[in-house]
Amino acid sequence: MAFTSLNYLIFFPLLAVLYWITPTKFRWLLLLIASYFFYINCKPVYALLLAGITVCTYLFTGLIDATDVESKKKRYMVINIVLILLPLLFFKYFSKVNDGIIGLLELHHIRWPLPEIKLFLPVGISFYTFMAIGYTVDVYNEEIKAERNLGIVALFLSFFPLILSGPIERAKNMLPQFKTIGNLNYDMVVQGLKLMLWGYFMKLVVADRLGIYIDLVYTKFSTINGTNLLIASIFCPFQLYADLGGYSLIAIGTAKILGINVMQNFNRPFFAPSMAELWRRWHISLISWLTDYVYTPLSFAFRKYKLRGIALALLITFIISGIWHGAAITFMVWGLIQGIFLSIEALTGKIRTKFETRHHLKNNGLYTIFGICLTFVLFAASLIIGKAENIRDALFIYEKIFSTTSASLIGLSLLIVGITGLILLLIKDGADKYSHIKWLVFINKHKTIGFFAIGLCIAFILFAFSQIPGRTVNFNGAFYGFKNIVPGIKLLYTEDHSTFILSVLSISILLFKDVTDEYTPSKFLIFENKHKIVRVLAYSSTIILILLIGVLDGGQFIYFQF
Amino acid sequence: MEKNEIAGKLTIVFRTVFDNTTLVLTNELSAKDVDGWNSLTHMMLISEIEDVFAIKFKLKDLNKMKNVGDMIEIIRSKL
Repeated sequence: MAFTSLNYLIFFPLLAVLYWITPTKFRWLLLLIASYFFYINCKPVYALLLAGITVCTYLFTGLIDATDVESKKKRYMVINIVLILLPLLFFKYFSKVNDGIIGLLELHHIRWPLPEIKLFLPVGISFYTFMAIGYTVDVYNEEIKAERNLGIVALFLSFFPLILSGPIERAKNMLPQFKTIGNLNYDMVVQGLKLMLWGYFMKLVVADRLGIYIDLVYTKFSTINGTNLLIASIFCPFQLYADLGGYSLIAIGTAKILGINVMQNFNRPFFAPSMAELWRRWHISLISWLTDYVYTPLSFAFRKYKLRGIALALLITFIISGIWHGAAITFMVWGLIQGIFLSIEALTGKIRTKFETRHHLKNNGLYTIFGICLTFVLFAASLIIGKAENIRDALFIYEKIFSTTSASLIGLSLLIVGITGLILLLIKDGADKYSHIKWLVFINKHKTIGFFAIGLCIAFILFAFSQIPGRTVNFNGAFYGFKNIVPGIKLLYTEDHSTFILSVLSISILLFKDVTDEYTPSKFLIFENKHKIVRVLAYSSTIILILLIGVLDGGQFIYFQF
Repeated sequence: MEKNEIAGKLTIVFRTVFDNTTLVLTNELSAKDVDGWNSLTHMMLISEIEDVFAIKFKLKDLNKMKNVGDMIEIIRSKL
C-alpha cells in the first residue's frame, strides 16, 4: 500500500480515528496490528521475514543486556548483525552476483551448479534491517536498554509510516515514544497534515512530473540530443529530492498525526555550498546512520593516519552507501565519486578556510552562490552514473551532453525568459539576504516601489506565458498523465511542451518555498504565515496544483527498489 | 591531573585543531557550538588528544562524549 494509492487514503483516516478513540494503553498494539496489516498488504510472505528479524533482534539484544562480560556482549552483537544481514544480502545481491559468476564462467565454457534465480526484493528490507542493526549496536554501546516488550520492538521495526522507505529511525528516539503514547495533540495533527500536504505536492506534482520527462529522455538516450540529456540531468536531483523528500514528509506527517515525532530526512539540500554540507542535508537518516555505524568505527580505527585515515574511511563509507542502493557497478562508482569529493574537501579543508578568511569570503554572497552551483553541478553529474545502465552508457551520455547540441524542446525565447526569471528570483533573494534594510523590493517602505515590483512581476509572468508555444498550457493532457497518451517522443518534443513546462513550473514552486524557508525564515513562511489569508491561499493552491498537475496514476516511489 | 589542568591542555588542542585562537572551553560546549566541529574534524581532535595526553580511547568512550565536560571526565579516568 503506497502513500499515493487510494487504499492509503481510506486506510489512514480510518486508522487515525480508531487510534484516537482507543484507550491510550492499547494504542501501541493497534499501531502494531495496523503496521503488519499494511506490510502484509504488500506481500504476505515478507511479513514472516520481518517477524523473524524482529524476534532475532529481540533475543540477542536481551542477551547483550543480560551479560556483563564484554566479550560475550560483543559476540551476541556480531551474531545478530550477521543473522539479520543475511536476508538483505541474499535478496539484494545474490541473484546479481550469481548471474555475474554464471556469465563469467560461461565465457570459459564452465557450468556453474547454482541455477539463475530471480528474486523480488522484499520492500523496505534495506530500511528495517538498518534500524535493527542500529538498535543492536546501541544496546551494545549501552546507549539504550534492551526493550523487554517484544511488541514494542516489533512496532519499532514495522511502524508503517517508515517501513517502506524510512526515515531510518533510531530506537533511542522511537521506543520511548511508543511506550508513552499520550492524548490527541491538536497542534501535532495540524502540523502533520501540513507536512503530508507538502509531501504529496513534492511527490505528485514535482517528482512524477519530472519523472515522465526524465524517463523518456533516459530510456531513449542514444537517439536524443545532448541538450535534452543535459536538461534531464539537471532535473534528476530535483526528482530524487522531491520523490524521497516527499515520501519522507508524508511519513513524518503521518507519524505526527499519530502523536509520534520522526526525524527530518531532507533539509533543503540544494542550498548546500559544499559536498559535505550537501550530505548533511540529503537523506539525513541514511547518512547519519552510516556516520554512526560505519564511518565513525572506521575513522576511529584509521585515526593514527590522521587526514588520510579520514579520507579512506569516507571512501569506504560512501562505497557502502552506493552498494546499499543496489548491486551494480554504477552505484558503486557513484558512491566512490561521492567519497572522492568529500575526501578532497576534507584534505583541502585547512587551505580553503585560510583562503576564505584572507579574502573575507565567509559571508560573501557571490562566493556562496558559486559554492552552491558547483555543488549542484557535481552532484547532478555524479547522478548520471547512478542512473545509467552501465558505465559505458554514462560516459556516452556525458559525451553527448558536450558534443550534440541542437534545438531542444524549448524555443530560445522561452529559454531566455526562463533564465531571466531565475536571475530575478536570485536577485530578490540576494537583496533580501544581504541588504535587507536598504533593498527590500516587495515590502519596501515606499509603497510605490512595492506595487511597482508586484506589477512588474505579474507583467513578466504574463509575458513568459505568452512565450510558451501554443500560448496555452495543456492541462487536459497533463491531467491524464502523459505516460499513457503520448505515443512517441516526437509529439512531446515538437508539438506538446506541457510536460516540460509543468516540470519547470513545479520545480520553481518547490524552490520558491525552499528559498523562502531558507533565507527569510521569519518574514515569508508560506504555510506558517501570520496572515490567515496567505496560509489559506497556500493550502488551497497546493491542493489545486496537486489535483491539476499531479501525476495521479499511482506511480511508485523510487526508493522502494532500494 | 586536575580537571583544570586537563581543561587547559585541552584548550590548546581545540585551538589548533579548529584553527581558532579565541575558543574558550566550557563543560557544556558541544559540536553544534563550534564552527567546523563535525564528524571529520572530531576524529582529528580525538587523535590529537590521544597524542597530547598519551592515552588510548575505546570506541565506546567516543559514544559517551556528548560535550566537553564528558570528554574531560573520560580523559581523567584514563590518566
